Amino acid sequence: MKPSLRNGLVLVAAGMIALAGGAWWASQNTAPKQADAVYALSLPDMSGTPQSLNQWRGKVLVVNFWATWCEPCREEMPEFVRAQAELGPRGLQFVGIAVDQADKVGRFAQELHLNYPALIGGYDAMEVSQTLGNRLAALPFTIVIDRQGRVAQTHLGPIKPSQLRAILADLL
Amino acid sequence: MLDAQTIEARFAIAEGYYLYRDKVHFAVEPASAGLLVPPLPDGKVKEDQFFGKVETYRGDVVVNLALKEPKPGQQVVIAAESQGCADIGLCYPPTIQRVTLALPEASVIQNTPTGGAKKPWFN
Repeated sequence: MKPSLRNGLVLVAAGMIALAGGAWWASQNTAPKQADAVYALSLPDMSGTPQSLNQWRGKVLVVNFWATWCEPCREEMPEFVRAQAELGPRGLQFVGIAVDQADKVGRFAQELHLNYPALIGGYDAMEVSQTLGNRLAALPFTIVIDRQGRVAQTHLGPIKPSQLRAILADLL
Repeated sequence: MLDAQTIEARFAIAEGYYLYRDKVHFAVEPASAGLLVPPLPDGKVKEDQFFGKVETYRGDVVVNLALKEPKPGQQVVIAAESQGCADIGLCYPPTIQRVTLALPEASVIQNTPTGGAKKPWFN
């Protein structure tokens, strides 16, 4: 009786491991496609030079969609500047995509002493945010991508500093 | 429509949302109908850290538009652009909503909104 029960347990355990392995593989397989849409973006920076987001592959990449006409967006950015200064050396890279006019973005970036790239995005960029969960096509919208190119987190609306730090702590 | 030449545009802004006065714009298609837009109603003045004084609208906002060259029985499209935010901390990009109006021949008035509006901003 006892030996057969033990065998039964072992079989069940092996089955569970196989299932868990399959699920892990599935998430590996679908998630990289999501981040690819972000890496594929090429948008002009403040000097008009196109910047491909692919250059930041391998970083913990925080892509923040914002605009100067979005007050909650502006309010959360000083914290991003702080986080970039502190955690940049550990591989963190913020990239701001402003759905906005370059001159307004430039003025605000200067006021804030922005220490990460501010790119100008239009409706194409907003569409990428929509495919990644920005159902309302609203701002701010933040995407966190890990070093392996997987979307770790998306967030619609302002993100609290404590929330941000918790997400980054896991990834850096 | 209030009469053969006057169109009442009403923004019914949902609770918890506000629009920016300086982002409200109107246009008519065809442009030859000649849209006249009066000065917009005053909004609530807010001190914005970046833009200085801004005016916002909440609740119902009414603007009486007029047409210079209305043709009886003509169809026109009024395009209303607006941009605003929700108190919970989200902002929406400028949105254009279009309404097709059949200008009255006699005294029949028809309002046919074209394109669903996600939020009840424009009636």
